[in-house]
Amino acid sequence: MIKYVLKRLGAALITLILILSVVFVLVRQMPIEGYFDNFDKLDESVIRARLTQMGLTDPLPVQLKNFFLDLLRGDLGESARYSVGASISDIIAAKAPLSIYLGLMSMGLSLALGIPLGAAMARSKAKFWDKFGTVFIVFVNAVPAAVYYILLQSYGSRALGISMLFDRTDPATWILPVFSMSLGNIAYYAMWLRRYMVDEMNSDYVKLARAKGVTSRTITMRHVFRNAFVPMIQYIPSAVLYTVMGSIYIESLYSIPGMGGLLVDAIKRQDNPLVQALVMIFSCIGVVSLLLGDLLMVVIDPRISFAKKEGAR
Amino acid sequence: MFKLFRKTFPKQGDVLSRPIEQAAAEKTQADMDALFVAAAYDDSAAERTGYSNYSYWRSTLRVFLKNRMAVFLLFVLAFLVLFTFIQPLLPGQYEATRIINHPITGKQMSNVSPSFTTVMTTAPAGTEFIITPYDGDPAWCAVTNVLQTIQRREVMTVTEYLGDWVKVEYEGQEGYVINDFTTKLKLADDPEAVPYEMHSNFPVSLFTSPQDYTNDGTELFARAEDLTISEDGTTATANKEVELRVLPSTQAFWFGTNNAGQDLWALVWSGTRTSLFIGFVVALFEALIGILVGVLWGYVRQTDRIITEIYNVVDNVPNTIVLILISYIMRPGISTIVFAMSLTRWAGMARFIRNQIVIIRDRDYNLASRCLGTATPRIIVRNLLPYLVSVIMLRMALAIPGAIGSEVFITYIGLGLPVSLPSLGNLINVGRKLISTSQSYQLTFPTIVLSIVTISFYIIGNVFADAADPKNHV
Repeated sequence: MIKYVLKRLGAALITLILILSVVFVLVRQMPIEGYFDNFDKLDESVIRARLTQMGLTDPLPVQLKNFFLDLLRGDLGESARYSVGASISDIIAAKAPLSIYLGLMSMGLSLALGIPLGAAMARSKAKFWDKFGTVFIVFVNAVPAAVYYILLQSYGSRALGISMLFDRTDPATWILPVFSMSLGNIAYYAMWLRRYMVDEMNSDYVKLARAKGVTSRTITMRHVFRNAFVPMIQYIPSAVLYTVMGSIYIESLYSIPGMGGLLVDAIKRQDNPLVQALVMIFSCIGVVSLLLGDLLMVVIDPRISFAKKEGAR
Repeated sequence: MFKLFRKTFPKQGDVLSRPIEQAAAEKTQADMDALFVAAAYDDSAAERTGYSNYSYWRSTLRVFLKNRMAVFLLFVLAFLVLFTFIQPLLPGQYEATRIINHPITGKQMSNVSPSFTTVMTTAPAGTEFIITPYDGDPAWCAVTNVLQTIQRREVMTVTEYLGDWVKVEYEGQEGYVINDFTTKLKLADDPEAVPYEMHSNFPVSLFTSPQDYTNDGTELFARAEDLTISEDGTTATANKEVELRVLPSTQAFWFGTNNAGQDLWALVWSGTRTSLFIGFVVALFEALIGILVGVLWGYVRQTDRIITEIYNVVDNVPNTIVLILISYIMRPGISTIVFAMSLTRWAGMARFIRNQIVIIRDRDYNLASRCLGTATPRIIVRNLLPYLVSVIMLRMALAIPGAIGSEVFITYIGLGLPVSLPSLGNLINVGRKLISTSQSYQLTFPTIVLSIVTISFYIIGNVFADAADPKNHV
């Protein structure tokens, strides 16, 4: 198992380096306006001097090498337009905690609502909860998130009588962003948990338990739910991704001073270094969460092995 | 089976006089005709011989048609898609990008509320109008009932108080003035104790009657035949109840107009067309690239390692981030969006196809095919891909709402299509800002159409995938 973990870690690291290099090279293709806050007013020689100073006139491999060396020192460069001259690491360090906090809350909420919903759907097959859940899942999956976020923000804030914008000090304004962010995951958890539980319910050991006269409540809670919950672990990395993607939109919609909103701002201001840094960070979150998901699976379910079986193919 | 033998043989002597060869040919033909009669298809009889008229596609269709909801949505969707193409050809449609101006003031017809008619209001017979010269279609007259505009702080004499209206005399002219928060008239403490003098801190209009026959201050249009025009052509009287329209036209703004004065009805359908186009192209690319890569990956062992590595990298990067990065780097447009989405979407499709192919490629029937010398492409197309139809269709159906949703998202971030190219994403992004105003219809209509399209594709895709799954064929 340790061999597998090491192998998986190595693969993740290589993937990360590859992704960072690709993003770096791609952002280099952008027009150079994105590195200056007052491009139009500068003359040719100043621009040239500044570019040289930032190392942007070096050949691409040299730039890439310098970039990775800086990265090892924790230096992501300087913002060019969003907040001129400020260190990107500082900007992000100031914004990340709120995003992480919101993300964790929303993941907690989606587990707290999605799991009971899935279980209720499985127990009341073709009755109210099942139908309600199905409609909910279809709605959340089919209607673009961008649309129901808007509706939820506008009508939700009116119905609850709270501000449409986020205010860190007012707990009531946390409700809607966190809830919106978890909607996708609630539907996801509910859908899969229902499917696994229905599968388990049709298995032989459950039939035997029922034949022995075990109450259906005990069967559901002690046997079906526990066994159905294990494969759910593999959806945690995608839940992280969902939350991260949701945060980009939600944070900007509610003016939450977090990392997702920052990305939208940076794009609107065409701040190349900041966009590059944020895109890299979000990609890293993707890689790390998939890695964690895989490792978690090995820890939780010893039957699963990712090592190559001899003669499997 | 027994039916075939019931006919008796024809008598030999009838044909003996003819030439032998011809006779032989005719005989066999006659024998065939006489001996065999096509039996009607009989289910139970067929079962005994092991024959079945089972057809995969017929069975899929039958299971699909059992789901009423999906069939209904299929009709709705087909109608909608068809309508987006028919709509520009219908009579009386505005062009989606045309800005409609008021013919006299030249102002854009911004934020006109949705209506099935251009009639804004009707005026009873005998109403007096002031005619504004209008050199368009002579069948129409541009009219108001505003005598003149009284400047701010001008003193007028109130002669009658009617609540919402006040009858005043100003420079020898009698008329009516609106009394509400827009005019803020400085009336006496006891407004009923007429006559007295008053003024307003705003410019106010003096109307011929206590009715506002203007479109927010601009001229309305009436048919010339409904009016009796005075000799000097400056005033007119309605000779029957007259319809007053916002434009000299009967082409209504069914969905209203947007802030720029464009017809939202035309914009929504044009936008739906754009968004559906993006969706279809993305779905097509996903299927093409996904199937190609998936088949190579699963069937050609040498490619397994390299494609697995590529897949791991692509799968690790969140799709949205790729979409954002590509849209950020490239020029905004349909091709950028399609490219950015296709760049990652194929991976899921390819992995699924690869897994399935690995499972079924070495089954006995494929082994047999290979032993018989069937060419690899033929094995792939005839033996393997039919197994995957249900999932390919499902993923394609889901790609369309996905692509439309991504387009809305990327437009919000500010990296979407230019405003000159209407799309559902553009329209929703504009409407989003108006949601709590009286112009919220500009969000409602695009949202409804978008939701119908995406929900239909989602449900139809899922039901079809279930129907195409042989496990569900009884």
